[in-house]
Amino acid sequence: MSFVAPMFLSLKVALVATMLVALVGIPLAFAMARRRFPGRGVLDALLIVPLVLPPTVVGYLILIVFGAHGMIGSILHHAFGYSIVFNWHGAVVASTIVALPLLYLPAKAAFANIEREMEDLSRVMGANGLQIFWHVSLPLARRGIASGLVLAYARALGEFGATVMVMGDLPDRSTLPISIYNDYVSGELSHAAPAVIALAAISLAMVLLYNRTIRP
Amino acid sequence: MTDVAKQYERDASKHLELNFGATGQLLAQIREGAPIDLFIAASEDQMDQAVKAELVDSATRVVVANNRLVLIVPASATDSPRGFTDLASPTVKRLAVGQPKIVPAGQYAMQVLKKLDLESSQKDRLVFGSSVRQVLDYVERGEVDAGIVYATDAQLAGKGKVRVVAVADERWHDPIHYVAAIVRATKQYPAAAEFVRYLRDDRAQSLLSKRGFAPPPPATQPAAR
Repeated sequence: MSFVAPMFLSLKVALVATMLVALVGIPLAFAMARRRFPGRGVLDALLIVPLVLPPTVVGYLILIVFGAHGMIGSILHHAFGYSIVFNWHGAVVASTIVALPLLYLPAKAAFANIEREMEDLSRVMGANGLQIFWHVSLPLARRGIASGLVLAYARALGEFGATVMVMGDLPDRSTLPISIYNDYVSGELSHAAPAVIALAAISLAMVLLYNRTIRP
Repeated sequence: MTDVAKQYERDASKHLELNFGATGQLLAQIREGAPIDLFIAASEDQMDQAVKAELVDSATRVVVANNRLVLIVPASATDSPRGFTDLASPTVKRLAVGQPKIVPAGQYAMQVLKKLDLESSQKDRLVFGSSVRQVLDYVERGEVDAGIVYATDAQLAGKGKVRVVAVADERWHDPIHYVAAIVRATKQYPAAAEFVRYLRDDRAQSLLSKRGFAPPPPATQPAAR
């Protein structure tokens, strides 16, 4: 199998996953850096734990929730005949969960490091919460957020363990890491070389970009 | 096979040593002179390898069991396909088969789809399992609407989780034969020949059929290819 189609699928999955990571992760990081509420510590831990969990555990948990008999999966299945399992959407969900901590941690640190006087001053000048977030906090935290997004994208691109459990092995529709594994399992490891080179090159580029974003 | 061997030991008061493994590994053992009297391959192709390597006596080659491909659906599912041709229906969203590159049952399943002109309608519905066991699991969990596995594997499914809805016509795929042939280097030729006869006999075949195997074709002569 050519590595071009899997590469485009991987780039697409990683792009959508990174957008979801930004959408979910940035507001959460801001809230966690500013607010105190019951259960905050547990929520914080839940957001970070995919970083250290084996992806196969994440995959298992996704199947428990989104599988045909899962809490959410059975509703989707019955109401819409839809499932994220055996579907590239499943790869997006898996990559999003696994990549989220890589944005969440630096973004939370960046929000926490903003001098609070800046936000207080804006409030005195009549800005509301959303305006402060959008025009003051977000720009001041941009370096941490950007570096987190770059790492999250790189991680989503390479996601294998959870993805292969949720998306499975679909003919002509596998991500780059899965196509490498399929070549290995079917005794055609040499066919995987272009995919390996492509993934290594993109990942290296992402790390170089990351190093640029964190440089003051 | 273990059941049959145990029964044979009781019936014939003889001792039989079983040695399971992948074809390549077994052939290597025979080549290295391991004391093996009879070789049973999981397919005609694998027996061809043994014949080509001149490790077995091709005149003794005979089919001892036969397997069938079946279409299975989750037991709890309603609106399931009732036969292979129903797979074209839009209600079938996911069909699981073994990865044809590594799972022989998957190769046979793809032959069936091709023969029934279902290849194009199933293209976007196919999910490959890395083993027949995984295909069974996908069906048991209801993650797919149907799966194609061996009849013998369908019997291994969790109780009441999987329903066999159809058996594939044997003309739709290459024969799924288990083939025996006596090893040329054997010092137990008569005993090996006796066991092969026993394998094709009613007693052994009824044990095998309990496990889902179908009887071998009636030819007592070595199976023609």
